[in-house]
Amino acid sequence: MLLPKFDFHEPKTVNEACQILAEYGAKARILAGGTDLMVNMKKKILSPQQLVSISRIPELKNLEASADHIRIGACFTVADLCESDAIQRHLSALAEGAKNLGTPLIRNLATIGGNIGSARPAADLPPPLMAYGAQAVLSSLSGERTVPLDQFFLGPGFTAMKPDEILTEIQVPALPASSGAGYINIGVRKAQDCNLVNVASFIALDAGGIIQNARIVMGCVGPIPLRARSAEKILIGQKPDTALFTRAGAAAGSDSTPIDDFRGTAAYKKDMVGVLTRRTLDIAFHKATHRQ
Amino acid sequence: MKKLIHLTINDQSFEVAVEPNQTLVDLLRYQLGLTGTKKGCEMGDCGSCTVILDGKAVNSCLVLAIQADGRNIQTIEGLETAEGLHPVQEAFVEKGAIQCGFCSSGMILSAKNLLDQTPNPSDTQIRRALSGNLCRCTGYQKIIEAVQSAKTI
Repeated sequence: MLLPKFDFHEPKTVNEACQILAEYGAKARILAGGTDLMVNMKKKILSPQQLVSISRIPELKNLEASADHIRIGACFTVADLCESDAIQRHLSALAEGAKNLGTPLIRNLATIGGNIGSARPAADLPPPLMAYGAQAVLSSLSGERTVPLDQFFLGPGFTAMKPDEILTEIQVPALPASSGAGYINIGVRKAQDCNLVNVASFIALDAGGIIQNARIVMGCVGPIPLRARSAEKILIGQKPDTALFTRAGAAAGSDSTPIDDFRGTAAYKKDMVGVLTRRTLDIAFHKATHRQ
Repeated sequence: MKKLIHLTINDQSFEVAVEPNQTLVDLLRYQLGLTGTKKGCEMGDCGSCTVILDGKAVNSCLVLAIQADGRNIQTIEGLETAEGLHPVQEAFVEKGAIQCGFCSSGMILSAKNLLDQTPNPSDTQIRRALSGNLCRCTGYQKIIEAVQSAKTI
């Protein structure tokens, strides 16, 4: 299966990459792990004239945990996310998403930036990242800007990124003490599967154990990962318990807008959103009360 | 336009000219004659093109040859030494884990990569590590048994 022809660029710095993008704009495409782009190019869905590989830019592979942020370089691989102690300790729901993405062979190539930038509605990493309140750092010759992931996705394959911008980093704000998140995905198989439904939930408790903040993100049930706003409203200001989580799950099901396809019916997916919301809230609550 | 790249394959240095749109698996098979690496789906689904790139098992159909410049690659041809087959290869033969043989090179490299990092894996770890390699003969059970027996060597 032949790849279309293209010119290949392999910049060593972000600035050099930005210069190439400024010159070619929409004719260029960024290559990170290649697990999505190579497939789309082989299928001739995409035929960029210029390919800009960012995998030899060392700073894009960094992970930095400071007091106020965890910063993950766009080329940090999914396998790195699975193995990182810092991710496991601070962002366990993201680690869970990473462990369930693709196959070991794919995880060794695929990057966090690619999983976000490709904007697939069933991707594993956007729901946990959005639940943690992450933002994307976009760089171009005119500088850097940050976009909350909530506003980053515009549709399947479409994002707020301009043609001359590169997604360089994901920033996750430091989490409040009594907070936690959970992530669960279900599919037809256990590995190498496109998700049927995936949900990430985050809750933060105040000193009295009341839910102060909640974010629920549902994948596969809309053109982009969706926030379950009415479910979040039900949770905030309440004391967590199973009945509350079940009610939030039912609300999340109504917030979702799935379609019938060969993976499952819309009605089944709505039901599963409810189940996964309840279960991920259980995990989030457990993390929030057991985190030191 | 072709570009000259340098890479190490099975501890041997190579200098080759590659087209930008040439994949690593095509370089290995068609230019270097290393046909032990198989081409199945060419979409990153089946794992028959598995190679170990800088210590990590990857689908060589999703990597451009040009991206392998300066990097270290291990293919199935690199496992056998003067002393004979690699223990994982030996275990596959011993346990009858090879049927048509098309998935074997990928399976063996994924298993070797697992055992290099986790010398004593659990059954779940073995199954997870091989989850990117498909066997269309469905001979999975014997493959798992082969890896279980290789870990004790």
